[in-house]
Amino acid sequence: MKKTAWPMALKKHFLLVLHGLFLCLFLSGLSFIYFNENYGRGVSWLNEESYADTLPFTEQLESDVEMIFKYVKYKDLFETDGKLDYNKDMVCVTFTSGKTMIYTLNDMIRAAKSWGYYLTDTFQVAGGPPVHERDTKNAAIPLIEWKTYDPDAAQNYSEPGDAYATREELALEVLTILGEYFQIQYNYMDRPSNLYFRVSYMDNDGTERLYTNAEQYPLEDLKNLGRYLYLSGDSIQIDTNLTYIPKNITSELENYNLYGNTDYYIILGLDTRYPNTDPYSLAHNAYTKVRVNYITGLILFAIGCMGLLATLIHLACLSGYRTRERKEPYLSYFDRIPLECGCVLFLGCLWCWSFLSASLGTAAARLLVDQNHRDFFVTVVCRVGIYGFCLAEGFSLLRQYKAGILIRGSLTCRFFEWARTAVSKASFPSRITVCFLGYLTGTSVLLYTIYYLYRNRQLLVVPYLFLAPGAVLILFQVWTFLLLYRNSGETEKISFAIYKMSEGDTSYKIDTTGFSGKYTDLAETLNNIGDGLETALQEKVKSERLKADLITNVSHDIKTPLTSIINYVDLLKREQIQDEKIQRYLEVLDQKSQRLKTLTEDLVEASKASSGNLKLEIANIDIVELIHQTNGEFEEKFALRHLDLVAGLPSESIQIAADGRRLWRVLENLYNNAFKYAMEHSRVYVDVSSRNDYVYFTIKNVSANPLNINGDELTERFVRGDVARTTEGSGLGLSIAKSLTLLQGGQFEIYIDGDLFKAQVGFPVLKE
Amino acid sequence: MQTILVCDDDKQIVEAIDIYLTGEGFQVIKAYDGYEALELLEYNQVDLMIVDVMMPGLDGIRTTLKVRENSSIPIIILSAKSEDNDKILGLNIGADDYISKPFNPLELVARVKSHIRRYTQLGNLNQQNVDNVYKCGGLMIHDDNKEVFMDGDPIKLTPIEYNILLLLVKNAGKVFSIDEIYEQIWNEEAIGADNTVAVHIRHIREKIEINPREPRYLKVVWGVGYKIEKQ
Repeated sequence: MKKTAWPMALKKHFLLVLHGLFLCLFLSGLSFIYFNENYGRGVSWLNEESYADTLPFTEQLESDVEMIFKYVKYKDLFETDGKLDYNKDMVCVTFTSGKTMIYTLNDMIRAAKSWGYYLTDTFQVAGGPPVHERDTKNAAIPLIEWKTYDPDAAQNYSEPGDAYATREELALEVLTILGEYFQIQYNYMDRPSNLYFRVSYMDNDGTERLYTNAEQYPLEDLKNLGRYLYLSGDSIQIDTNLTYIPKNITSELENYNLYGNTDYYIILGLDTRYPNTDPYSLAHNAYTKVRVNYITGLILFAIGCMGLLATLIHLACLSGYRTRERKEPYLSYFDRIPLECGCVLFLGCLWCWSFLSASLGTAAARLLVDQNHRDFFVTVVCRVGIYGFCLAEGFSLLRQYKAGILIRGSLTCRFFEWARTAVSKASFPSRITVCFLGYLTGTSVLLYTIYYLYRNRQLLVVPYLFLAPGAVLILFQVWTFLLLYRNSGETEKISFAIYKMSEGDTSYKIDTTGFSGKYTDLAETLNNIGDGLETALQEKVKSERLKADLITNVSHDIKTPLTSIINYVDLLKREQIQDEKIQRYLEVLDQKSQRLKTLTEDLVEASKASSGNLKLEIANIDIVELIHQTNGEFEEKFALRHLDLVAGLPSESIQIAADGRRLWRVLENLYNNAFKYAMEHSRVYVDVSSRNDYVYFTIKNVSANPLNINGDELTERFVRGDVARTTEGSGLGLSIAKSLTLLQGGQFEIYIDGDLFKAQVGFPVLKE
Repeated sequence: MQTILVCDDDKQIVEAIDIYLTGEGFQVIKAYDGYEALELLEYNQVDLMIVDVMMPGLDGIRTTLKVRENSSIPIIILSAKSEDNDKILGLNIGADDYISKPFNPLELVARVKSHIRRYTQLGNLNQQNVDNVYKCGGLMIHDDNKEVFMDGDPIKLTPIEYNILLLLVKNAGKVFSIDEIYEQIWNEEAIGADNTVAVHIRHIREKIEINPREPRYLKVVWGVGYKIEKQ
């Protein structure tokens, strides 16, 4: 069967109620123990399982032993053949008149009665005349010849004594003794007792005098009753199973031995089943009850303790979670109070409660509880209340801890966090100001501490202690230096990154680990700028490439139909059509289709050259040789337009690093440009010169048509002198030439001065 | 009569080529995609194949590869793609020539003739360097009687042009600078050489090359010199 899932809240409430119940158990156990009469004796006394093993029992036994030996004495005094004999002689006195009187017991009782004395039901002497009525002066004080109850004179009526006493005193004496006799008789003879005794003295003739309340039991039976004590005259050892021995028993036994021999013994037997009601059974029952109470209290106390602990731990585990999965800790409204406020509140509550429970609790206790239990009650109420507050505060702290806001949520932590943010987010000048003030304060405090300690160095336990703040000062300075060092390192990194980016390395990133405060922001911002630049650059490159691809593809698509046009125009021309008009039309078609062809080819090249989408094969080439070759290629072409090519070339070779074919393309375009646009019958100047580690190729010609634009514009794509628009060419030649030159790392300039067109290509000279 | 297979997905272009080639006395078989061309090749005796690159189905490159699996006929690729990379690719996978669109019909015809001549008449000749005969691809120089043939056709050169060509052919593959050529031919030290050599070279090129702007034999190494490509 699946375990029933209790809702979390119900579970917690149940546990809380359980906790309260265990608290009640704990408290009741505590009160059981506290109010037990053995409270304060520890728990070792619980080992004394039986009353017979306790000290109170021994005390009782001692008083009983005393009584027993009194009985030994009084039995002979008052009894004849085992019966109380009122006619026994008690005392003999001689009056001053010389008259000697012997009073029997009966006489003495009657005399006592006449003075108003009597025995209570507990055999205590009571009554008697009022004190002022006592006539002690006039009464005749007789000389006491002998007293039968005087132990010293018990055996023989010795010579006249020298003590005097009034009759009243004597009667009182007798009455008291009689009371004791009755009491003993009542306690041990008349009523069944749990204590059995037998005292036996043997006189020298072999006559045994036996004093007992257990005549019928043999000696061994008495020993088997439960607890016994056997002491005989011929042994110094006590035969007993008692825990404590009555201290008076040996001396009493010896005192009543009148015969001077060792033929006597005493045996005490206690029936530990306590069948009879007597002081022993009563004490025993009370003792058992107290012991049971104490043990019950202990058990309750222990169960309460364990239950409290168990429920507390369980609650602590559950606390702070809303669901069984124990995720997403939740907080009550109280938990959101910061740690410090919570603590102050808690202490305030504790103080209030202590005060309230001390004053109001005492007042309430007076109404409800008696004097003996009042203090305990108040204390318990006070402690329970404190425990409750502790519980609430403890669980609140626990929940905060589980939610992770115990420290973070505290005011101290928040303040430091705020201060840190404030300092690190502050502007550089204010930050520097704050830091400098902090530095000044720290340094001056330390310096003053050194000074103060130095002044009072005699008072110090260790005189050189004034050096300690000095060490701290040095550490402080070193720390300050390290901070400054780190900051300047960060500045260095940032400026290096800026330098890198300005050089074009937009992908450069600052490693911000170890950066602090505002520098982190700065570095990250710079990284973002770099990212932005990088992205923009990549976008640009990408779009250029896309454009180049687009142009290439479009040109492919144009070329196919163009092929057909060119071919069929050619076929038409071969048809030998005589009509001049048609021939002229065909010529136009031929020209334009050829121009379209050039245009498409140049377009592709121009887009590739300007997007840099070309693979260069850079090699060492001789630019002078290249010009010679180019001149050779163009000499005859120029002659067609009656252009004179005037070359001013150095005789030695000049090496440059370039892609020969591309550079030829550049020159070809420039020569073609001159060929197309130069005025007929003019000269085209070509020369090569080197200066400042650069070699410059220059081509100059006079334009056939006025140039109404500047040189820079000429290298833009599709730009030509207005008039030139109708002529052959794509308008891309100079643009391609410029792009290719720049791609190869050269310089390309066009100067226009009136009708003078001048193009210059420069390359760094390779050193031998 | 030689049979030429023309394969292009543009019917008008095929038609135009057909007209030119038929006019030159060739028999033309027309195909409009690669598969068709391969099929036609199986059932016909074809001497040369002209193939377009960008075609639906099997493109020109794949077609060339397929043909090269079991045939060695000359293949001319005719394509609108005129980039260097495209040309290099086409030539590397087995094409003999690469002409980019729009093309000059006369050049196409000339190249077709050249390839057929080489394939049918000259291709199988053992290269022999006896009796002062120098050969380089389709170029042949008989030094004894100072005659130059290009794919079998005699070519007329001036003495200086002949000497320059002979020098380059003898050292095929080696690049000669203008000064070197001048010194060798004129037997004078070149002091501030002018355009003479370059002009001669240009003339030679115009005579021996089908398209002087894209020479096959006499190549210009710009900024360095000239050389005859080793065939």
